[in-house]
Amino acid sequence: MLENKEIHISEDEAALYDRQIRLWGLDAQKRLRGSRILVIGMRGLGAEICKNVVLAGVKSVTLMDHTNVEKDDETSQFLVQRTDEGKNRAECSLDRTQQLNPMVHVYKDTESVAAKPDEFFHNFEVVCATCCTTQEMIRINNVCHSRGIKFFAGDVFGYYGYMFADLNDHEYLEEVHHVVSTGYGAKKQKIPDSKMAKRNSRFITLQDVLDFDWASTKGKMLMNKTPETYFISLVLLRFRSEQVLHNAQLTKEEKQKKVLGLKNTVMEEIGISDSIVSDKFVSYCMGELSPVCAILGGVLSQEIIKAVSAKDMPHNNFFFFDGVDGKGLVDCIGTYE
Amino acid sequence: MANVEQREFAGPEEIRAAKLLVVGAGGIGCELLKNLVLTGFRYIEVIDLDTIDVSNLNRQFLFRKQHVGKSKAVVARESVQALNPDAKIIAHHSSIFEKTYGRDFFKKFNVVLNALDNRAARNHVNRMCLNVDVPLVESGTAGYLGQVTVIKKGITECYECQPKATQKTYPGCTIRNTPSEPIHCIVWAKHLFNQLFGEEDPDQDVSPDTADPEAAGDAGQEALASDGVTGGVERSSTREWAKSCDWDPVKLFNKLFRDDIKYLLSMANLWQHRRPPTPLDWGNLPDSVPGSSTSAQDSDLLEDQRMWSAKMCGQMFGRSVNTLKERLKTKVAEDKEHGYLIWDKDDDPSLDFVTAAAGIRSHIFGIAQKTRFDVRSMAGNIIPAIATTNAVIAGLIVMELLKVLCGNYSKCKTVYLVRQPKSKKKLLVPCELVKPNPACPVCSEKHEVTVRLNCETTTVKTLEEKVLKDALTMVAPDVEIEDGKGTILISSEEGETEGNHGKFLKDFGIGHDSRLKCDDFFQDFEVVVNIMQSEDLERGVEFELIGNVAQLKAKMDAKAASGSTPRNGQPNGTAETTSANSDVIVDDEEDIEIEEEEVEEDEMEKDEEEGAGDKMLRKRKAENLEKDLGSKRPRVEPDQSDDDLIVL
Ligand SMILES: [Zn+2]
Repeated sequence: MLENKEIHISEDEAALYDRQIRLWGLDAQKRLRGSRILVIGMRGLGAEICKNVVLAGVKSVTLMDHTNVEKDDETSQFLVQRTDEGKNRAECSLDRTQQLNPMVHVYKDTESVAAKPDEFFHNFEVVCATCCTTQEMIRINNVCHSRGIKFFAGDVFGYYGYMFADLNDHEYLEEVHHVVSTGYGAKKQKIPDSKMAKRNSRFITLQDVLDFDWASTKGKMLMNKTPETYFISLVLLRFRSEQVLHNAQLTKEEKQKKVLGLKNTVMEEIGISDSIVSDKFVSYCMGELSPVCAILGGVLSQEIIKAVSAKDMPHNNFFFFDGVDGKGLVDCIGTYE
Repeated sequence: MANVEQREFAGPEEIRAAKLLVVGAGGIGCELLKNLVLTGFRYIEVIDLDTIDVSNLNRQFLFRKQHVGKSKAVVARESVQALNPDAKIIAHHSSIFEKTYGRDFFKKFNVVLNALDNRAARNHVNRMCLNVDVPLVESGTAGYLGQVTVIKKGITECYECQPKATQKTYPGCTIRNTPSEPIHCIVWAKHLFNQLFGEEDPDQDVSPDTADPEAAGDAGQEALASDGVTGGVERSSTREWAKSCDWDPVKLFNKLFRDDIKYLLSMANLWQHRRPPTPLDWGNLPDSVPGSSTSAQDSDLLEDQRMWSAKMCGQMFGRSVNTLKERLKTKVAEDKEHGYLIWDKDDDPSLDFVTAAAGIRSHIFGIAQKTRFDVRSMAGNIIPAIATTNAVIAGLIVMELLKVLCGNYSKCKTVYLVRQPKSKKKLLVPCELVKPNPACPVCSEKHEVTVRLNCETTTVKTLEEKVLKDALTMVAPDVEIEDGKGTILISSEEGETEGNHGKFLKDFGIGHDSRLKCDDFFQDFEVVVNIMQSEDLERGVEFELIGNVAQLKAKMDAKAASGSTPRNGQPNGTAETTSANSDVIVDDEEDIEIEEEEVEEDEMEKDEEEGAGDKMLRKRKAENLEKDLGSKRPRVEPDQSDDDLIVL
């Protein structure tokens, strides 16, 4: 757990963070104050996460993206300007992010994750990867896992989105409510009280999640109970990898056709029945929908806040949002022994 | 099969053409405006009366430090306009209750989106939307919890279909004689503030209550006769007495914390099964800090989180009394009639006074003392608020909006954000919308409510101000008695019926079963008030509102509260300044009540009318949830109380 003895919250900060200190307490705020966060990918979801953690009052946030602002960013990326098209996303997001909270150090990094050595990630308490390929996520996750750095990943695909967390062995405090008795005799009263209890939660890496055998007896049993969005996300991540590989300029219809084809490939590879995922999703999975970014970014950021403040039970290890049927589900995938 | 397929979500054309009204530019409003502009909406009007405060900046991300003191609506518009220069965004720094925002104003919108923090405004917008049949997306957050729902006339419940729990109040005798929790001392201290410096309210007496039924026939009465101690016998107003000694802190202290307590001690029945209080003397206050052995090092705490010793409380009491006294004198000099102070959680002397007085009283009664930090929350009714919850809820509002906009009401949901999934892995819990309540006084054909009051002692003014304006949130009611003659009791036209104000209802022949036709032209809201004559209302309770059976049940259940003092909802939404005479101060935050029941939901998201019905009718909104969620049971595990649902 992060040492927070030296961190002092000034009276100015106390005024600014008043409403949240009343919610999660001064100790949690001090831990936030000492945390350095890396956010990879500055599109819609990345922007939401940056906004939320900067407002919460962490020590620093590094915005990392090697790509340039596109026309599509207009519909979800609120930290860049319309005139920024063609310029680097991290660079262009810097000013507005900094304005959100002058007490947080905001840095940019315009290199790609591929160009970064493992040691680069050691500089952070939290690494959050968006817009990455599965291979990139696995690599960064493994680096973080070995160092006890909290790792998060998330993406928004149209109406769908997921969040993954690997907090390794995570110790946290939780408020436990109980009742205490006061007074005596017939007037004895029970008054609700609370105290902090130490808890622990164990996470696995993304690699371990992906290695889960759906064809096993256990896997077959869990298949139907697993949120459809998990499998949809696998398909769309595969699509992303292929896009990076081939860099093809496709029309909307071509993309949808390609995604459908990949659905069959991916389902077959992991050994689950094609019927688990209906084809309907292909009409709803393109671009980044702003409200979906807000929902996913809100949940993911709160998980980052929980993780660094070591307060409250984290969601272990996925959150899925399905905007088509309005579901927001937490599930633990890959740890079924 | 229908020929025209119902689309799930609005398309780009509908989004571009839609006209939206956003009511509120606070925590949810800022996030919402961003989402709307990014989603492609081109016409948005936003209205908010508030100005920006520094404590907003941790989540209302369209505002910066240099904006403190400026209009929320105006600054939010400027910030969000930059996201899309082509969007037409109109800001109104104004109250939604203003006459300008009548039917014609509401009529021009396709959908209204509420991002409000108080019930009075929610009631009002609900009525206006029903009135012009414009769909409304309603929402709210409190801490980690949030809720979004859709209101459409004739299809769903309206905001007022289910009666809302009244704000928690405390029995007068608990506050005055036998406090047992910190909040009792804080409420007492706020009453004391009003007695000494604020608007005097006879319901906020702070002296010992000799009419306490528990002390009936007790030494208290004898003491009253023998008059051994002076304290509680003082029947002239506390203010007059304070004035006569020029608010001398020592005299005030010794009366309130020594003599009055001695008097309480003489009411021996009260202390048979309670720890008796210990009178304190100004000249001899203990300097030890309560509970200091367990609390953290001082350096780890904020200034406001440090616990004051009784001696320190005494000093702060004296200092704040002197400051407030001078202020009061200035006020009175300006305006003899309305010259009084209004308690404000953000005003240092006001907060010092309540912290000190509540601290001393806690000390006397052996109750855990609260720090200045906690007193600000408890006395100021602060609802903690964070950016992430607001972001999630604002996202969900747009998801519902996209369904509403293409008429896909069958897919619209009430969605709750909970803290931890309870079952079925749901962090966001979607529930079917509930059909309108046929007995709803607002959206049903039959607009009727029943009010229990005493016609002999209730004035016309009380009826207008407290029943019609506060409890029924009417703005400018006209009232006609259904006596066959059409006697006009109250007219919204100035100068017509002011003469009736001081008269009692019985003076107009109003009694049991009388019917009053109340009409708010502005809200286009008509309701018949049925009078139920009652002479045995609890002390301090002027009336009781009975909407329907469910409401009556909720009422009976909330009997812990001394009465049904309705929320002091003023039409302009400035609850901070107008509720000084109420126990409950409404903060300018996302204001929501927290449900205490745990929800055990079912896979079936069906409307099971009577389903698991009768178990849990404790809180009215819980009834809805019950239908939505199939079944539910009371909380059993004591360590899960944080995972609550909120009620708007
Ligand atoms: Zn209704």
